[in-house]
Amino acid sequence: MGTRALLLLTPAFKSDCNLLNHFTKYGFHQTVRQQEKLFRVGVRKFSVHSSLERPNVARLAETARISLTPQEAEEFAPKIQQVVDWFGQLQDVDLQSIEPAIRPDTEAGSFREDNPEAFDNREAIIAAIPNYEEPYIKVPKVLNKD
Amino acid sequence: MLSSVQNPRILLLHHCRRSKPLHHHHRLRRHHYPKSIHASPLPHPISASLPTSQIQTIQKSILSREKTTRQFAEEFLTRLRTTEPHVKSFLHVSETVLNEADEIDRKIDRNEDVGPLAGVLVAVKDNICTADMPSTAGSKILENYRPPFDATAVRKLKESGAIIVGKTNLDEFGMGSTTEGSAYQVTSNPWNLECVPGGSSGGSAAAVSARQCVVSLGSDTGGSVRQPASFCGVVGLKPTYGRVSRYGLVAYASSLDVIGCFGSSVADAGILLQSICGHDKLDATSSKREVNDFTSQFISKDYFESQPLKGLRVGVISETLGDGVNQEVVSSIRGAISHLEELGCTVTEVSLPSFSLGLPAYYVLASSESSSNLSRYDGVRYGNQTVSDELSSLYGGSRANGFGPEVKRRILMGTYALSAGYYDAYYKRAQQVRTVVQKSFKAALDLHDILISPAAPSAAYKIGEKKNDPLAMYAGDIMTVNVNLAGLPALVLPCGFVKDGSASLPVGFQMIGAAFDEEKLLRVGHIFEQTLQGYSFIPPLIADEFKSSSVKIYQLG
Repeated sequence: MGTRALLLLTPAFKSDCNLLNHFTKYGFHQTVRQQEKLFRVGVRKFSVHSSLERPNVARLAETARISLTPQEAEEFAPKIQQVVDWFGQLQDVDLQSIEPAIRPDTEAGSFREDNPEAFDNREAIIAAIPNYEEPYIKVPKVLNKD
Repeated sequence: MLSSVQNPRILLLHHCRRSKPLHHHHRLRRHHYPKSIHASPLPHPISASLPTSQIQTIQKSILSREKTTRQFAEEFLTRLRTTEPHVKSFLHVSETVLNEADEIDRKIDRNEDVGPLAGVLVAVKDNICTADMPSTAGSKILENYRPPFDATAVRKLKESGAIIVGKTNLDEFGMGSTTEGSAYQVTSNPWNLECVPGGSSGGSAAAVSARQCVVSLGSDTGGSVRQPASFCGVVGLKPTYGRVSRYGLVAYASSLDVIGCFGSSVADAGILLQSICGHDKLDATSSKREVNDFTSQFISKDYFESQPLKGLRVGVISETLGDGVNQEVVSSIRGAISHLEELGCTVTEVSLPSFSLGLPAYYVLASSESSSNLSRYDGVRYGNQTVSDELSSLYGGSRANGFGPEVKRRILMGTYALSAGYYDAYYKRAQQVRTVVQKSFKAALDLHDILISPAAPSAAYKIGEKKNDPLAMYAGDIMTVNVNLAGLPALVLPCGFVKDGSASLPVGFQMIGAAFDEEKLLRVGHIFEQTLQGYSFIPPLIADEFKSSSVKIYQLG
């Protein structure tokens, strides 16, 4: 596991004492003690985790169905790598006892009845289809010989 | 620490002194203003007018028949035509504005009800669907796309009598902080045409700033309403997640996206929000909570008490005023804080230690959700399609041609973060950070009525400055992304300026409230704005026009 440093907007903590006071008050003891070492003035340190495979841009592009040119793939690779490395700082925080939140907890979702309804502007939907032959959407062959 | 804050009057004096002899137009070599709107010294000292609600003015004038809706519409369209070649905020301008204005005038003649937004020209960000105008989301993949329906927010605007004046420019699918990521054009900041307007709702912010429309809709996934509002010197309101239906908003990151409002006054942003919010059965995440009438609190400052915000507990987020934040931005915020103190607020510092961790968590969530949401653009059912003899290369080719580089990169990063075996390391961890962020905001908002921070760590920067450095651009979102993770409402309003060569660029400050408490933010914002003396947030591009129409009044004062 190597360590990298990246200059980033820095959280300015007056002192560790302040930080701990805050957390004693609000209670994220575990999290904070782990986080504490991350907050450094000027430079944010984080680890690059060798256990996670680095992004293979060509393979990702294939998965995402985006035909990249070789030049694009070459140009994207370092930028994507840089951001993914930066994501890596999430590995250094102890979040073990914390439930993931799938959305803001402002309000629970409410689902409507799942009843089909006719949409009254069918023509506009059809007009937007690039390749249409009544009543079908036309596409090239689906099966690949390979 | 807060006792050392400068008195706003002192700031004001500094400000006037440095702005007095300077002329903005020296800086604009690449652009030439038409004679009628040539730039003037800025900002206007002392005689500056307080922002007034343009919506209320229009409503009053047309109902009393003092002025027709057509006259107002023509006024805005004329300004739009003169300023648009410089600002380029619109991707599409409606051709039916004057007809719609005439229709409202006829209804008024017949004494029919015309709605609370009658005759109000509203610009709509181009990632919000309009059935009678193209909706491209700033992407080539949706070039000329006309959705078969109106977004719920647009439908509600029309039902309130608003006239949709056009569709505004944005970073493709909302992914960016400068509006340079649009596939179509680069929008300029009306305060300095060489600067970005911010983003992703840069077109909507610039359009309100240049008074090309009365108010506008934007969307805010990680600050896309609030940061451009700060850069362009206008009011920007990000409502609580669930307050406004997302039906018809082109999805970027569904757990974070909200439709937001721009206005040149707090009242206008609030009246606009009132007309678009509420439950919608077409968006399962829209709240069923009752919506209060918060427009009645936009009263004249003549009725304010001497300390109208007495007892209001304001928490300043200490992490947001430290290193890495422009010093002039910090002093503008300190000026705003001491203004709040004069209004009676009790201001204390509050620390949110999870603040900086919110940024990578946000980008993991937004990229992941976008890679899933944008999989719908396959070139088959709508949008641009490339010719191919085989389906999977039709997908790959259409998406390769249709998406710009930033969108491609985010989709690829999201695809990586969601890959089998990595989900726990990235997406799940980011969601856990979201829980931490939500809890720390909740704790801070138990002790404070509102929280304060800058809206961005700097004022507007030059076009091209951060274009090739994604991380530098992402870092600019530090002030805003946490609010989206927690789903809270926030209001950005202009509070000062930073020096920009010989001229000035506006700075906004952010007020964050408890979920569904937009009412309080708007009340505080309105009082703040109506008592902030000595600043004018009318950009140089149009300052002459506004000076000539209002100067008589203010010379008397």
